[in-house]
Amino acid sequence: MDIRLSGVTKIFEPDIVALEDVYLSVDSGEFLYLVGMTGSGKTTLLRLISREYAPTRGQISVGDRNLRKLRQSELPYYRREVGVVFQDFKLLQNLTVFENVAFVLEAMGIPPKLVEGRANEVIDQVGLWRRRFLKPPQLSGGEQQRVAIARAMVNSPSVFLADEPTGNLDMRTSEEIMRLLLSINAAGTTVIVATHDQHLVDSYRQRLVELHNGRTKRDERRGRYFVDGEL
Amino acid sequence: MASFRYALRDTMRLLSRHWGLSALTLLTAASVLYILGFASLFAMNMRYMISRIEGALVVQAYMKRGETADQALELTRSSPNVASVRVISPDEALERLRAKLGNQARAVTLLGENPLPWSLEIQVQKVEHITPLVRDLMVLPSVEEVLYSGKLVERLAVISRASAAVSGVVLLLTLLISTLVIYNTIRIAIYSRKEEIEVMVLIGATPTYISLPFVFQGMILGAGGALLAILGLWSTYSSAVEAVRSTLAFVDIIVDRRLLGQFFIFLFGAGATTGWMCSWIAVHRFTSRGMRSR
Ligand SMILES: Nc1ncnc2c1ncn2[C@@H]1O[C@H](COP(=O)(O)OP(=O)(O)OP(=O)(O)O)[C@@H](O)[C@H]1O
Ligand SMILES: [Mg+2]
Repeated sequence: MDIRLSGVTKIFEPDIVALEDVYLSVDSGEFLYLVGMTGSGKTTLLRLISREYAPTRGQISVGDRNLRKLRQSELPYYRREVGVVFQDFKLLQNLTVFENVAFVLEAMGIPPKLVEGRANEVIDQVGLWRRRFLKPPQLSGGEQQRVAIARAMVNSPSVFLADEPTGNLDMRTSEEIMRLLLSINAAGTTVIVATHDQHLVDSYRQRLVELHNGRTKRDERRGRYFVDGEL
Repeated sequence: MASFRYALRDTMRLLSRHWGLSALTLLTAASVLYILGFASLFAMNMRYMISRIEGALVVQAYMKRGETADQALELTRSSPNVASVRVISPDEALERLRAKLGNQARAVTLLGENPLPWSLEIQVQKVEHITPLVRDLMVLPSVEEVLYSGKLVERLAVISRASAAVSGVVLLLTLLISTLVIYNTIRIAIYSRKEEIEVMVLIGATPTYISLPFVFQGMILGAGGALLAILGLWSTYSSAVEAVRSTLAFVDIIVDRRLLGQFFIFLFGAGATTGWMCSWIAVHRFTSRGMRSR
């Protein structure tokens, strides 16, 4: 699904301007890096797309949905089409890896047999097969990261949003995760990755949008990581 | 329905993985419902006692010799406070007298012509209706005398009435406090899972799907607590009945098993309902927080 933001401003009470007059158009099946200094508004932008936040001004549409007109009752169904890897993972701590991933499908009312097959497939894909009965506190940071990715992709969403999916990971693990994201994208899913990972951005060149103080500063087809203020 | 099966599984998960909290909620519900049940039984017995006393209140109006009861009957029939009136003819009165005297009944025949007057037996709705009724009857020229059960019964009834009012207030307060205590216990239990609930909302679970296990859990704990409370009440009440019978034989206490059974079923239903409603309200707060776009 394509994503269109036009004139989007997000102001947090009382007067923190997190995003200001942002225009962004992402086509269906595109891969996009979102970069920018800390506090530049990356997370805010992703949360506007997943409709955790509502814009103060402007319009956001995803596929044929105008998010402003989305009704509360439709929200769960919309969110099933948008897989999100949260910056802080948000895994359910007392459920196993398998249960965490299976939960998304169960909530959709899918029968147990199908849930098990699909959840196992995805867990295997992110390389956690042997950890599938462990709980998040028993996993390393990188492993938790991959559970979060598995959970976000298990129901094959049309849009995939990842907020610093390689934060605090070593280079090799980061690259593994990147390949995973690219494979998700290769299946036709629109992917947006907010990141500070210079190595990653420069080794796997993709479209890049840089935010600065809540405004779009750069939008390049195969941009290099260079963030104002970070040298 | 896969969703329903998942909900049942998650209910079991909630109950077993947080069994300490579940046990605490169960015990809280049981104690609170026990107190509520106790207060209700007390109030029920008060009402019962009053109705028994009021049922026993009979006003008897005797006519003057040679007068019929027609005038007095008209007066009593027109009063809305009168529950029932019975006209006693001199013949019936004589029959009653004979029955009362038993083997001395022969003495009655010695009276020759029946000397007994017409009379009325009147039952009123409430104790406080007696005094005005007596006053009205007394001024009728056809009425000779009015007898009623006396001041003692009247006082007793007034006291019971006051205690019924008090027990009603106590009952209402207990009901309020019970609901609040159960709600708060459940709310605290659910609060410890608020982040989980919000995450579930974020990954596209519907509020209904998320709430269902909590609602089932609340229902099970409420009903379980009620069951414990009923067992406790049953044994307390049985020994109370025993004690009253052996020491205060004149006090009327409810022993009707059907009525008590109905009351316990009601208490069970109330426990289950309070449980699921409180859970539903508590979990709804967190799901709706997750649904709201800030
Ligand atoms: N819920 C909120 N309430 C108030 N202010 C907020 C909220 N969320 C974000 N902000 C503010 O909005 C601005 C942008 O924050 P955002 O989290 O989008 O930055 P970011 O680009 O994701 O930063 P980082 O790289 O550190 O994750 C910051 O100044 C932040 O303090
Ligand atoms: Mg961020």
